[in-house]
Amino acid sequence: MARLELQHVCKGYDRPILDRLSLTVEEGEFFVIVGPSGIGKTTLLRCIAGLEVVDAGRVIFGGRDVTRVPPYRRNAAMTFESYALYPHMTVFENIASPLRARRMDEASVRKAVLEVARLLRIEQLLDRRPHEVSGGQKQRTALGRTLVAKPDVYLLDEPISHLDAKIRHELRRQFHTLQELRRVATVYVTHDYAEALSLGDRIGVMGDGGLVQVGSSREIFERPNSIFVARHLGQPSINEVPCRLSRDGGALTLRSLEGSLSFAMNGSQRTILEKVRGDVLVGIRPQHIHVANGGSTRQIDNARVEAFEALGATGVLIAETGGVSLTVLTSPEENFEPGQPVRLGFDVEQFLYFDAVHGRNLKA
Amino acid sequence: MTAATSDAATAPAVAPDWFAQKRRRGNLIVNPLVPWVMVGLPVAVLVAIVVYPTIWMAYHAFQDTNMMSLFSGNWTFVGWQNFATALTDDRFLGSVRHLVRYLLFGACLQVLLGVALALILYECIKNNTVRVTLLILLVLPMMLPPSIVGVLWKFLLQADNGGFNHLLINLQLLPANQRIDWLGTRLSLWSITLVDVWQWTALPLLIVYSGRVSLPPAIYEAARVDGASSWLVLRRITLPMLKEVIAIAFIIRFMDAYKFVDHVSVMTQGGPSESSELPVYIAFQKGIREFQVGEAAAQAWLIFAVAAVLITLFLKYMKRVLKAQAIA
Amino acid sequence: MSQSNYRLIKTLLLIFLGIWLVFTLFPLYFMVITSLKPVEEINRMIPTFWPHTLKLSNYAGIFADPGSLKSLADSVIVSVANTALSLLLGTLAGYALARWIRGAAGENLAFWILSNRMFPPVAVIIPMFFLFDSMPWGTDSYFSLIVLYLVFNLPLATWLMMVFFRDAPRELEEAAYLDGFTPLRAFFRVTLPLVFPGMISVAMLCWIFAWNEYLFANLLTGTTVKTFPVHIPTFTLGSQSLWNLIMAFSLVAMLPPVILFVILRRYMVRGLSLGVVKG
Repeated sequence: MARLELQHVCKGYDRPILDRLSLTVEEGEFFVIVGPSGIGKTTLLRCIAGLEVVDAGRVIFGGRDVTRVPPYRRNAAMTFESYALYPHMTVFENIASPLRARRMDEASVRKAVLEVARLLRIEQLLDRRPHEVSGGQKQRTALGRTLVAKPDVYLLDEPISHLDAKIRHELRRQFHTLQELRRVATVYVTHDYAEALSLGDRIGVMGDGGLVQVGSSREIFERPNSIFVARHLGQPSINEVPCRLSRDGGALTLRSLEGSLSFAMNGSQRTILEKVRGDVLVGIRPQHIHVANGGSTRQIDNARVEAFEALGATGVLIAETGGVSLTVLTSPEENFEPGQPVRLGFDVEQFLYFDAVHGRNLKA
Repeated sequence: MTAATSDAATAPAVAPDWFAQKRRRGNLIVNPLVPWVMVGLPVAVLVAIVVYPTIWMAYHAFQDTNMMSLFSGNWTFVGWQNFATALTDDRFLGSVRHLVRYLLFGACLQVLLGVALALILYECIKNNTVRVTLLILLVLPMMLPPSIVGVLWKFLLQADNGGFNHLLINLQLLPANQRIDWLGTRLSLWSITLVDVWQWTALPLLIVYSGRVSLPPAIYEAARVDGASSWLVLRRITLPMLKEVIAIAFIIRFMDAYKFVDHVSVMTQGGPSESSELPVYIAFQKGIREFQVGEAAAQAWLIFAVAAVLITLFLKYMKRVLKAQAIA
Repeated sequence: MSQSNYRLIKTLLLIFLGIWLVFTLFPLYFMVITSLKPVEEINRMIPTFWPHTLKLSNYAGIFADPGSLKSLADSVIVSVANTALSLLLGTLAGYALARWIRGAAGENLAFWILSNRMFPPVAVIIPMFFLFDSMPWGTDSYFSLIVLYLVFNLPLATWLMMVFFRDAPRELEEAAYLDGFTPLRAFFRVTLPLVFPGMISVAMLCWIFAWNEYLFANLLTGTTVKTFPVHIPTFTLGSQSLWNLIMAFSLVAMLPPVILFVILRRYMVRGLSLGVVKG
């Protein structure tokens, strides 16, 4: 059993970074932690690795309490964001390093290193130094060093953040297929939500002090438990429209606080918002607004184009309606000029509603 | 898959308990005592060979210790007497005057020369091999044992058949029948200063040169694109950026020069007739040759105190200037 | 300013540089030729700028003279031992200060260690003279010089090694810890190779100081231990200094630091500039 457990882990420097954080990552699970820069993701990894000592709480590897065990005895393996490759050693020696620590015999070392190098397709670089190989190759060397160690838990700190898009894509694919990572628990940290959604069995969204939501990628994307989570996942970012509920007659309407945008609430939407007092922050994902051609049953509004970017596979349109600027995903083949009038259709059933004060998802 | 729990959904407004009563937990990597032992060893050594003498000297500066009383252990407290003696001693005061002249025309001149030479070397000579060779040659004097340098110059500065006088004659800078008495009463201090400049200009030169080398080339390219003249570049870019380095070179020279007596020891022994005595040299003589330990201690402390104050003031001034520059 | 003006100024500056260069090298040149002259030629009223007769036996004489050889040997013993000691202690303290002793305590400690360099040797030597005199090893011993040179070299070594260790990225050591290496093994495997060039420059600076040192050696030693700066003034015949022998011997004694500097100058420059810039 190689499950990783964190129980009420606390860590702070001049301010608290991890506040009673608890987490269990099962054996074989690929857990991704996503969150903004500086929130404490690396601190969390370092606490699991043993490079930092926790102020309170426990860290448990497969039933073994390692809270007070130094990193060189924890049997965790970590790839650093900066790769941390030894500059004065060859790629071979870098990868072999954990085995050297265990004083393994030369023949076994060679065998293990070659195996990993072949797996990562860097076997032709073994005699080079780190400064002689490319970024992607450095990353694979760092990964090789962790794989060869056969640790009790894998910790990957933004391993592909600093590589260009194509290589990132290829390496993401490799993460999917590496069976070795499925042997024990893996914790993968990134600030790129797309990576998170793609790679993670489960995702933990990290906010101030700890994990604000944990779940599958689908859960997190479709049912974010707060505006913070919703805001963090999605490119372009979710549209946020602060609104007020008005009940005149029997109709329940959401009116935007700025401008004159309004949405009529019917059916299931109405049930959700019936009991709410106070203001509501409405979250509308760009893909839930459409440029309407012809008739449709959805709510339609007149809008004016502010800006348009054609980005390869999609188009991003910024349009203003009722005094509110909204971002809309369109097809890239459109041709919008600033000032041009458009009609926007809204998938009101897909709207997300958040409590204006605490940011909590009202649908949950 | 089991559900995970997370406790902190929103940031607590008040610092949580565990943070408020947090103690320094240290780290898991080494026993916290180890670093202190590692530092402790050298510190212990320094305490033995520096702190102990300092306290000893501070103590005896207030006693009337001399040769006999030192070995018998009978010395008496005399308060500020040793200090008063030193401050009213013409010989000591004379040496202080010598020191001021020596520092002014020695250390200060060296820094100016060093800066000038370093910049000339860097700006005017573009061939790297030539530049490096010249640098090595120019820095050579610094590598030599000061005592040997003193001996060498003593030889060269001989009045009658010294090489330096005859070089001047050969260069038509001196009439053939004249000899300059470099090590005589009138010029002995200037000779010491000359030798100091000869040997130690290399240090500020090296420091400023290293500093200049490490300046970012991008600024110079931008200046060139803007069409700035060399003089302007020098005044507005190079010198301001080197301010810190120059200040450090000056401090290092000053710190070394005020206690440097190798040349005096070897060349003139303070003479003739005390014309080239420096305060530290006098203190040495008083302490080791005449065994007037109390007086020597007072002198040493006076010298050190003044130097420390000057250095600290200068450092504070530099910090202020540099902070203003950093903000700008 | 115009091209010709610019060229003129540049030429003047180069002439200035040239004059200084001549001023710097002339004494050394004279030293070399003096070392090759026989005694008679030296004592002439008008010295020659080019030796009339070459007497290489001056140099041979040095190696035949046991006193001279011993002084060189003594210098080697004292300087090497002191450098090793300074480097060892300085590395220990420098590493602890760079990695583990943080905050105000660390900064103050480091500054105090460095400030010892400001101390006038006179303040150290007078008490130590009397102290060592009363000790079984006496003032005239290898021990006294090796230990006392630490006054200057230890603060320097500690400060520079601290700067070099701070420069070495912590993450590499952390990676080594995660590989399974204990801090000790990680230090030798990862950290030491990284600071090695720095150690060379520190060793050089310390060694040159110890090799060249005159004052302490002169005051404390002279018989049992006689480093070459103390030995050189003894080349006299009656009341006359044998300048040619002095020059010859001096050149021999000067060679090691100069050669080291030429070979390892990159390390020295780096050491100096790093220590100065970060100091």
